[in-house]
Amino acid sequence: MRVALFVPCYVDQLAPDTAMATLRVLESVGCEVHYDPEQTCCGQPFLNLGALRETRGLAERHAARFRGFDAVVSPSASCVATIRAHYPKLGLSGMLPARTFELGEFLVRKLGRTQLGARFPRRVAILQSCHGVRTLGLARASELGPAGKARAGPGTTEQLLNQVTGLRLVTPERADECCGFGGAFSLKLPEVSARVGRARLTALQECGAEVVTGTDTSCLLHLEGLRRRLGFGPEPVGLAEILASGIDP
Amino acid sequence: MSRSDREAILAAVRRGAPHRQPHPGAHRAPALGSGFESFATSLAEAGGLAHGPFAPADLAGCVANLARARADADHDADGDNERIVASHRAAELLGSEPGLLLETASPGTRPHDYANVRVAILSGEVGVAESGAVAVSGADTPERSLLVLSRHLILLLPAAEIAADLHRAFAALPDDTLAHHHLTWVCGPSKTADIEQTLVYGAHGPLTTDVVVFRGNCGHDPR
Amino acid sequence: MRAPPLERRARRVLPNDAAVARHDAAVYDLRRRRDAAAARVPDWEALREHARALKHYSLDHLDTLLLRFEKRALAAGADVHWAIDAAALCDIVGGLLEERGVHRVVKSKSMLTEECALNPSLARRGIEVVDTDLGERIVQLAGEPPSHIIVPAIHKSRAEIGALFHEKMGTPAGETDPERLTRLARRNLRQHFLQAEAGITGANFAIAETGSLVVVTNEGNADLGMSLPPLHVACLGIEKLIPTLEDLPTLLRLLARSATGQAQSAYTSLVTGPRPGGSLHIVLVDNGRSRLLADPTHRASLACIRCGACLNTCPVYRRAGGHSYAPPIPGPIGAVLAPARGAGPESDALPLASSLCGSCSAVCPVKIDLHEQLLAWRGEAPQMGLGEGTAIRLAALVLRHPTLYRRAGRWLRRAWPLLSRRWPGNPVSGWLRGRELPAHPGPSFEERMRQRGSSQ
Repeated sequence: MRVALFVPCYVDQLAPDTAMATLRVLESVGCEVHYDPEQTCCGQPFLNLGALRETRGLAERHAARFRGFDAVVSPSASCVATIRAHYPKLGLSGMLPARTFELGEFLVRKLGRTQLGARFPRRVAILQSCHGVRTLGLARASELGPAGKARAGPGTTEQLLNQVTGLRLVTPERADECCGFGGAFSLKLPEVSARVGRARLTALQECGAEVVTGTDTSCLLHLEGLRRRLGFGPEPVGLAEILASGIDP
Repeated sequence: MSRSDREAILAAVRRGAPHRQPHPGAHRAPALGSGFESFATSLAEAGGLAHGPFAPADLAGCVANLARARADADHDADGDNERIVASHRAAELLGSEPGLLLETASPGTRPHDYANVRVAILSGEVGVAESGAVAVSGADTPERSLLVLSRHLILLLPAAEIAADLHRAFAALPDDTLAHHHLTWVCGPSKTADIEQTLVYGAHGPLTTDVVVFRGNCGHDPR
Repeated sequence: MRAPPLERRARRVLPNDAAVARHDAAVYDLRRRRDAAAARVPDWEALREHARALKHYSLDHLDTLLLRFEKRALAAGADVHWAIDAAALCDIVGGLLEERGVHRVVKSKSMLTEECALNPSLARRGIEVVDTDLGERIVQLAGEPPSHIIVPAIHKSRAEIGALFHEKMGTPAGETDPERLTRLARRNLRQHFLQAEAGITGANFAIAETGSLVVVTNEGNADLGMSLPPLHVACLGIEKLIPTLEDLPTLLRLLARSATGQAQSAYTSLVTGPRPGGSLHIVLVDNGRSRLLADPTHRASLACIRCGACLNTCPVYRRAGGHSYAPPIPGPIGAVLAPARGAGPESDALPLASSLCGSCSAVCPVKIDLHEQLLAWRGEAPQMGLGEGTAIRLAALVLRHPTLYRRAGRWLRRAWPLLSRRWPGNPVSGWLRGRELPAHPGPSFEERMRQRGSSQ
């Protein structure tokens, strides 16, 4: 299976460890991983701002660079959601949306793998990122009522963490409430964004988490920024880094 | 000018209404409980109380006791709020019950004349087990103010007319049900939680709502 | 660039942390109740889909439904008026009342009449309107707009309400018990009901097949307003039309559960024609709805049944509060409907005031894709500050050229310590209001891969 590593611009610049861990995890499960050093941005920040022309330009470039792979895997659910949910609306036809996955989603639903030999003896809470839950369906959204053929059972992140040796999963109140990042929202409505984020950090703290992880690196960076300012809260660690903990360096 | 507005609105609406969407048809809800127990549980959650199901012979006695109990327990009412009024159908269902001094609502009563009613006894058409609601129509209560002005409401409901859910309840209504000006679903007493989310009954309408369920035929039940 | 209006207004309420937490808890409680009620309905998601399809069918055939409704309503003895906009509504209702020498009016909750500013218009004609929904009465006495469409006074404490009632209704000073306050309001408002010469209501739905109006309340105030005064004026947006009686149960089963977690509201009243001895005037209002109808991206927002579930789940609404939005409707649906009204920059900026979490769309009983609507509005009317358009084009240019992108990345990391501190003009000053930058990230992933490649 030819897998392309999709490193979002902000992960490349601000969370390179997560990208490195993603690469190592994919290699460890036997994927032939291709990394294109000329990739830059999928266009999400511009879509978020309503700058559609710029979005289209970057989306076309991204789609061209990722053509021809069996799977494109990324540690950022929001970027994956942009490609899956919005590229078709932007007029970009083709297989890319159906072949782009968040890391955990790829491991669990495409490769059927949950056990990666990882060891992480900490109390860990999942930040159920909005794009991951509500756009990609990586876990069942708390808003949904009973439905005949619902995808029941734990989400992909939880399934993976359940197999990590020594890891104790704890669940905060309002488990899938937004962390307040929202992209441009965090810059344009900073105090509202920070207030929403503070509530999330508090809930994570109160459930006894030492570490918080999730499907979206941008949310984790938001929580890290809040934690540094407010002085409390669990330490954000990328899902890839937890999963890579069993791989020899 | 309303006339020209009408044409302008219809013209504008036509531009946005291409008549392409199909109607989804009826919704088929799974059949859940339609018994008295389900109904009573739901009604209790809505702040009301269900009684019975009574045999026809016991109905009038129960209603009489209930009406008196509600009336007597109401210490907030002004002295002149003492009337107990029953709709024509309710009165027929109750027959003549000794010890219950009640008026039968007379047609053509001014709506305001019911302002001093302490207990209203009306006849319901259909009940809903999933919510505890009861439908009262203009066929029973032509003067609707009686329903909301009285301090306490007692609704008589045949056990056989309890439907599992609102879809089935609507389907069970008589064909001419909307021809009597109103069809009012009453689900427990009047309520509000507008002040610090504290639930208070009797916001504007009745402070209590009881549903007395009976089996079989009573009196000269026209249905 | 100046912060968007919602952020500016929110900054006035956010410092009162206790009040924000109280508001958040009170509103989220409604979300919890909704969840509990939905969990007891085995066909909940199927019901939502059915409701969505019903509403879309209705909108798609709206012209036919309006004509059928008018015909049946007229046959039942009602009068039917058409108002193209807010001014027309106010004119029609004002005219109806003046013709009859009406001065005392009771009104039950109608977001449409808020939207059209009916009360102030009638006041200018010397007609006093008393809002009878308890929450609406509270905000009316306080001279404020409602801050929530179902619980208009959710932002007020019992102490504030007690003081307000004391000042405006002469209730005992220091009375703060909700039950006693409600009883006092009941007694006061009962007099208004009995003396009213006209009752104005909205309508939750209008049934084309029968010419009937459906009015849903918990208090029964609409029923008093419809059954006592000789004149009943019902104002409704044209989007309220549904085809037949059979289509109603799906919507009713979703409405109360979505709003407050109740299986059914206390009073669900279907009225057809005037009450015996009374008259009924129905006013069908457009006010921009037909324009929305013709907009393929945004017409779904007309499906709204005004349940308030999106408000209750919205993380932004719960902290910023209803008054941080532009009137008449706050929260996600308010932000979706606002830009269509062309009411100005305050309304146009609302779609930006969202993290796009999508919770609103997931609770909406008629499955309006609210968060996608917000994003679409951003694309249609980007709210760009001075120079922002240029900055965005520049950023996109840099990102299309890997060499430029990598150079920008190196500058970013060199400037990291500087960017981490607050100073006027810092491009990331928005972030720094409330957060720190993360620790210096070290070399980018691309640099590390390049080094890894060259060392192999």
